[in-house]
Amino acid sequence: MIQTVGLLLLLSVFLFALVNLAPGGPLSGQGQSRHIDPDKVELLKRQFGLDKPLPTQYLIWLVGNDWMQVDSNGDGAMDGYGTRQGILRGDFGFSFRTRQPVLTEIGQRLPNTIYLTVVTMLVAVLIAIPIGIISAIRQYSSFDITVTTFSFAGQAIPEFWLGLILILVFYAWLKNPFTGDPLLPSGGMTSVDSVGFNLWDRIVHLILPVLTGALGWIAWYSRFLRSSMLDVIHQDYIRTARAKGLSDWGVLSKHALRNALVPLVTLLALDLPYIFGGAIFVETLFAWPGMARLYYQAALERDYPVLMAVLIIGAACIILSNLIADILYAYLDPRIRYE
Amino acid sequence: MAELSINETSLTNEYTQSASMGTGVWKRFRRHPGAIFGIVVITILIVMALLAPASPYNPEASDITSRYESPSLRHIMGTDALGRDLFTRVLYGGRVSLSVGLMVVAISIIIGVPIGALAGYYGGALDAILMRITDAFLSLPSFLVLILLSAILWEIEIPMLSGNSVLTISLVIGVFSWTTFARLVRAAFLSIRETEFVAASRALGGSDARIMIRHILPNSIGPIIVEATLEFGYAIIEESGLSFLGFGIQPPTPSWGNLLSNAQEYFMKYPWLAIFPGLMIFFSIISINYIGDGLRDAFDPNKVLNKVGEV
Amino acid sequence: MNRSRVLSLLTVVLLVAIVLSGCQQNAPSTPAADSKSIVIVIPEDPPSFNPIIADTGYDALVMELVMLGLSDIDANGNVFPELAESLPTLENGGVVMDEDAGTMSVTWKMRQDVKWADGTPVTADDVLFTYASITDPENGGWIPGIDYIDSVDKIDDHSFTVNYNAVYTGYLTQFGGEQVVIWPAHYCDAAQGFAAWDCARQPLSNGPFVLSEWVNGDHMTFTRNENYYQAGKPEIEKISIRIVPDQSVRKTMLLNGDADLDMWTTEPMIADLEGQPNVEVSRSIENRWVMRIFFNLAAKGTTDPVATPHPILSDLRVRQAIRAAIDVDTISKEFFLGYVTPVWTEFFRTPYICNIPRPEFNPETAAALLDEAGWKDTDGDGVRECRGCETAEEGYVMEMDFITYSEYGEPLELTQQFIAEQLGKLGMKINLKIVEGSILWAASTDGGIEQSGNFDIDIWDDGYSGVDPTDFIYSYYAAASAEPDLGYNYMRWSNDEFETLLGDVYTLDEEQRKKDFCEMAAILEEELPQLLLFTAVNADAHSSRLQNVQTSANDLVTWNAADWTLK
Repeated sequence: MIQTVGLLLLLSVFLFALVNLAPGGPLSGQGQSRHIDPDKVELLKRQFGLDKPLPTQYLIWLVGNDWMQVDSNGDGAMDGYGTRQGILRGDFGFSFRTRQPVLTEIGQRLPNTIYLTVVTMLVAVLIAIPIGIISAIRQYSSFDITVTTFSFAGQAIPEFWLGLILILVFYAWLKNPFTGDPLLPSGGMTSVDSVGFNLWDRIVHLILPVLTGALGWIAWYSRFLRSSMLDVIHQDYIRTARAKGLSDWGVLSKHALRNALVPLVTLLALDLPYIFGGAIFVETLFAWPGMARLYYQAALERDYPVLMAVLIIGAACIILSNLIADILYAYLDPRIRYE
Repeated sequence: MAELSINETSLTNEYTQSASMGTGVWKRFRRHPGAIFGIVVITILIVMALLAPASPYNPEASDITSRYESPSLRHIMGTDALGRDLFTRVLYGGRVSLSVGLMVVAISIIIGVPIGALAGYYGGALDAILMRITDAFLSLPSFLVLILLSAILWEIEIPMLSGNSVLTISLVIGVFSWTTFARLVRAAFLSIRETEFVAASRALGGSDARIMIRHILPNSIGPIIVEATLEFGYAIIEESGLSFLGFGIQPPTPSWGNLLSNAQEYFMKYPWLAIFPGLMIFFSIISINYIGDGLRDAFDPNKVLNKVGEV
Repeated sequence: MNRSRVLSLLTVVLLVAIVLSGCQQNAPSTPAADSKSIVIVIPEDPPSFNPIIADTGYDALVMELVMLGLSDIDANGNVFPELAESLPTLENGGVVMDEDAGTMSVTWKMRQDVKWADGTPVTADDVLFTYASITDPENGGWIPGIDYIDSVDKIDDHSFTVNYNAVYTGYLTQFGGEQVVIWPAHYCDAAQGFAAWDCARQPLSNGPFVLSEWVNGDHMTFTRNENYYQAGKPEIEKISIRIVPDQSVRKTMLLNGDADLDMWTTEPMIADLEGQPNVEVSRSIENRWVMRIFFNLAAKGTTDPVATPHPILSDLRVRQAIRAAIDVDTISKEFFLGYVTPVWTEFFRTPYICNIPRPEFNPETAAALLDEAGWKDTDGDGVRECRGCETAEEGYVMEMDFITYSEYGEPLELTQQFIAEQLGKLGMKINLKIVEGSILWAASTDGGIEQSGNFDIDIWDDGYSGVDPTDFIYSYYAAASAEPDLGYNYMRWSNDEFETLLGDVYTLDEEQRKKDFCEMAAILEEELPQLLLFTAVNADAHSSRLQNVQTSANDLVTWNAADWTLK
């Protein structure tokens, strides 16, 4: 736990330094209204506390300034306590672009990203497991060779490219034979005119983004599972189990699958940063209102408070998931006890 | 002198060992059909990129009279929005994309291998510190940070790094790709440093640096090569992703990534503009992955699980 | 571990996913779809409903749906009253001039039948509140000509007087037009400040539509304002705005009938869509946007052309050579598909049209000009060096950065590459850069490229809304506008004669203005601080069933959304 906290602190220092390294620093983007008075900039700098040395600024960013005297009107004199609470208490400041609290903005987007990611990973794993198992049992069969070839191909297609092609095929070209509408929607989480919770509508909107996001992972996990199954199958105890007369399926479920699946859980957690990064393509192409797209927009407009917050929250999610993976690993594999 | 001669002997032994290991690797590698396919394809791609200047067309000179020509004998991949020969641009783009891949691998090895080696060899506090730094990098959503870094570097005027050049993009990707190398090398060092021959050379007074470079490193070369191969592919994909989002290598310098992302607007109308660079990315990645797979099997015939086994 | 454990684990994850997706449904449900609803697709959320803060265009787009100004400009460039009962002029006594003092005062009478969506009448207090909010020294904003106003005095609930300390010709649209609206005094929280108040994100409508839902990053829903002051309008009952980032997806949605409007259609897309049965492209009647090249007359990274003149561009002959080397006709025909018209002076629009002869495209003239200016390629590397030039050290290489912005899209990027190549043939080494508009135009304190003078040559488009170019010319060519962050005179150009003329056009005497503007045109032609290439129309693609869409050069396409109908 202490390590995790230390890791997050280290990351926060790193990100803070990175953003302050940017030209113009974190006030960039404030000048979107092209007419900004130089005096006003000085005033803003004092108001934001940007006239202070960087370590002080970092500290304020971290723990806020509501415990210290500040110059809230920028006139050069201390005139009361600050209002910032610091990121430790969830105050990531205000977006330059919308002047909304960053946490509000992220709060609107994060659940959508989690929703898409969880479904994508579930689909990827649920498809990859049987493929991997069959490939392993029927090693060098035509099924195995086909699937292996496809999985190599699947990993070689850039995600944005795949998404574009899927939209073309399933939205622009193929039509529903009964209604004449496009077979699948081009994007969004729901239809414009959907009322209330409509499961079917949601599923239909998930198909293309999930397919785009999952293909590479299906390929990767099925290959992984295939090789780990092969690894296990060739172990002595499996041979022994077979020799004892256990049926193939019995051996599989009791011994092989168990030992092959455990590392997959860890792998899932380790892959999370990539899934998070890759979400940017899926969310942009399929108009998915997620956090990665918010980040992309913020990067284009140098909305630094949003960028910092997304990275910090993203890193926290990744660290948390690594932790969960460790615990799961222990839960799934009785030989390991997690202290 | 005596010490040295013994030392030399052990070294010779080791070389013979690795030489026989080398032949074994090559034998096993040859038996992997995918890997051979990969080697052939990637060699063709590299040769094509090297021969790019032999093209009769200039990759950056426009020809307004022949815009958007579909593939023909004169322009085998057609022409682009400025009438430039797409085949020539794809060849030059290959130079850029493949060099990005190579440079990223080089940068990650330069950063990752020493970190992993030091951590694995010395252990203790140094290991803890280095591994926490590695963890920190692994905990970042790396692609998002890539975007931020290239956005920031874009605006700073640093000689050789301005305007998202090949070097800038490679550096940015490389700085976030070394962690796997560090982990692999650390794991290898951890296991090898306890072996007898390391203990022997230490007893013979070999310096730490010598032991690390001449004795342990050659024995952990397998996973490094496999990972380098895969990283080469990731780098090409990441560059094309950055280009798609507008943060990659800037035109008129072509890269497979920016050729592809420029084409997406007219995908339906001028499909060849997107198909050919897309195919180049596809074939390079698939062949690299096959090579990586072949190498993995070849280096470690008993344990196919190399990459994740160390986790 | 056994299989049942894995399965139970997966089940739990699945349940969590379903619950999570259920949590999404906390937004109020929208009214059922009906035939009178349309869908607009835009690439990103508007930052707010107040375009003055960020000016992305999307904010103005949604602002026009819900908010009204005192006046607005139609597609022909005519000003028409919105909240005002009529437009104050000299003739109707609304404008009173003080010739001696050089000042004027404008009295506005407002309509009495306009109400905010909560039933409160729109009054002069709202105007005074808006003015006070904009001019607030700490949390205010800036609108053109605001510094010319001394005070705004309320006469009664529906009339007030604006007292100017100068003759301000843009008074008619100062509290209207494409960016400025009147904000509700009783609803907006003044303490939050003009730039950040909540009422710019949850606006209280007095326009044709009411914002009923905004799911960030996904969609916005607007419904008909039942209390809209124009009886029977709007006919459209519901407007959904979907956020669709990818351009090709937006285009496909339009072709598939899933979207009714996609704004800011680029020239290649106009050409693509014009043959399609279900889609029409509305093009503006007037030309407004002029593609122009900015020359930095101060050395790159500096802003003072006298202390640190640009080593290459400060020589007029170089600027003339660049102009002669650019083939505007080919650019217009090939990259903008003939949808643009070459122009070479700021004064090409009614009512101020000045007769300046068209410059000739001639690479040989260009080369001769550079030779004459002392830029020659003596080492045979294809790039000229200073050999006896007047503005740089001997041997200085003719190498420059050439920047444009990314949002315009492919035609401009191709133009940039094409021009760079033409200049390359001339013997200049040109390095291309494409940046986001928000970085190109940011304040110098934020590292804005133009304001801090961090460029050699730039190309992008701008032009003035409506019929009065005064503010526009002032902010691009006045000496005062050359101060970083105080204007857009990125060339850092100044000319005394021009300054005098610029002072003289602040009059309501039309003949005088015409004469002064054309004298300015002659000076600009002579000195060439900017290079104008061509002007484009605005275009917006919409479905054929959506009628009365009229793209305007003076405003966003939603300016007349109250008049839209469905076939």
